[in-house]
Amino acid sequence: MSSSHAMTRPSADAAALVHSPAGSGARAAARRGGRRLYRLWFALPAILLVAFFFAVPFLANGVLSFTRWTGFSDEIRFNGLNNFRSLHQLGILGHATFVTVAFAVVTMLGQNVAGLALAKALARSDRANSVFRTVFFVPVLISPLAAGYIWAALLADDGPVNATIAALVPGGFTYEWLGHPVTALVAVGLIDAWKWSGLVTLVYISGLNGIPRTVLEASVLDGANAWRRFRSVEVPMLAPAFTFNIVLTLVGSFSALDVIFATTKGGPGDATTVLNVAVFSQYGQGLFGTSSALSFMIALLVIVVAVPLIWYLRKREVHA
Amino acid sequence: MTAVASVPAGTTRAAAPAVGARRRRRRFPWKYTILTLVALPWVVLPFWVLLVNSFKTSREAESPSVSLPKTWAVVDNYRAVLDQGHYLLGLRNSLFVAVPVVVLTLLLGAMAAWTFARTSSRTLRFWYYVMALSIILPPAIVPTVYMLTKTGLTGSLAGYVLTLVGTRVGVIVFLTTGYVRGLAPDYEAAAQIDGANKLQVFWHIILPLLRPVLFTSAVMTVINVWNDFLFALYMIKGSTNATLPLTLYNFANSGMYGVNWNLVFAHVILTSLPLVVAYVVLQRRIMSGLTDGGVTG
Repeated sequence: MSSSHAMTRPSADAAALVHSPAGSGARAAARRGGRRLYRLWFALPAILLVAFFFAVPFLANGVLSFTRWTGFSDEIRFNGLNNFRSLHQLGILGHATFVTVAFAVVTMLGQNVAGLALAKALARSDRANSVFRTVFFVPVLISPLAAGYIWAALLADDGPVNATIAALVPGGFTYEWLGHPVTALVAVGLIDAWKWSGLVTLVYISGLNGIPRTVLEASVLDGANAWRRFRSVEVPMLAPAFTFNIVLTLVGSFSALDVIFATTKGGPGDATTVLNVAVFSQYGQGLFGTSSALSFMIALLVIVVAVPLIWYLRKREVHA
Repeated sequence: MTAVASVPAGTTRAAAPAVGARRRRRRFPWKYTILTLVALPWVVLPFWVLLVNSFKTSREAESPSVSLPKTWAVVDNYRAVLDQGHYLLGLRNSLFVAVPVVVLTLLLGAMAAWTFARTSSRTLRFWYYVMALSIILPPAIVPTVYMLTKTGLTGSLAGYVLTLVGTRVGVIVFLTTGYVRGLAPDYEAAAQIDGANKLQVFWHIILPLLRPVLFTSAVMTVINVWNDFLFALYMIKGSTNATLPLTLYNFANSGMYGVNWNLVFAHVILTSLPLVVAYVVLQRRIMSGLTDGGVTG
């Protein structure tokens, strides 16, 4: 368990302090002559792959959003804001953006509330906790598609969820969880949260165990009770874990598709048609221009939401 | 679900536990009763429903329930997954994708990370930031598919593999570069003085030192790639190249009279089985790798 990969990373300053002469020597040597080119060659395969399969398509997508581009003609022609205008007239643009944001917020809150609560309960590394950590991690392994199918069955009219509620309340109970707009959107968001919360939990556990013992002991000596300790010591000290979890769960769920394809397929009506589902449906109709425009909206959402969020959460880290 | 942010390294483990340990021990049964009550509907019930309904006849599984099957149809269901579900073909394709993607992302990622960590070149730094951006910015699939069509790689597993490497390697580079920066360059310098060339230094010095961070990266990449549906949906045409998530999706949508839960669930179980088995075997290492700050770097 411990041994080779007990990840106590040697701190950068310590390394610099002890090894600086040799270190700068090696770096200076590396700067001379052909050695630098050789190193460039080492990074080249990864750079080329990222350039061709991430950077170029990403930039191309930005340009293609403003073109008339379909599967029926080879011609790609600029058409200004026409794609966005027609998507707006069809009622897709605003609606899909709203649904995406709502879905992402539900997913983010679900994962982080569940993850933090579980982390608090399982932070100590003992045998019983290890068993529970292992169990709660299992949903992370299965595909979001599989998670969607499992929960679609659990939430079916005559499925176990309704059967359980019916057993608890008098007079019978049945509800189409995935058949009503609001519950369907919340349900698919929570299914996605369910699938990932095991991982979020581990990140919080790692954060909790990184809090220096002295700080917690000091707060105990100052008479802080468990809740006070959590609110005034652990939450601020967890800032980096919060940044990581909140940003990535939010950004990740902006591009969600799998769970929705396995459950509601965007319905009922268009209640769970997030941007990525709309991207696929435009693509399927051969409308590549409008498809790119919707994909561009996801990128915009990420930039507009993630950048200020990272800035804000990072600022908290400095103060903490 | 991967990198960014840095959870304070250094003072890990053994920290919090001591505080109030005695009090917690007295609460022991309470805490675990509650946790068990949470785990039951959270994990046990869903997977129980998955399992028992995959043993039922289509008719009985029509309203999925927690009860055991009245008529067992295990052989029929799983044979249907193998035959009509193209399971073995999907398994082969998934392995053909997952193995090269994991090997390439780890190897190319570690090579790039070493360079990025040790360089002072502005160009390289620029590409390092591009890779960091590739973690949070969404993939632009439609132009990628168009590009693959133009280069004749569309529909093939090669195009799919390269795309997955190009979109996943950024995370590994980001995590690993941070890790290399924390390593003293002494080992490399010493090896070079002893006459090792760069390739030997990388292979014999750097790669072994990177084992912990690469193990965690491998775990996340395997989970990610094995379960990928989004890229597969756009990039893989026809059933001959379909990976497991795609065969599952096609199989679930092939039922003429709605979804046959028994068959879908049997497919879900077989699709998830390889990862679950690997998880059970490596469970201790995976858990400690992820909780010791491996994910956050």
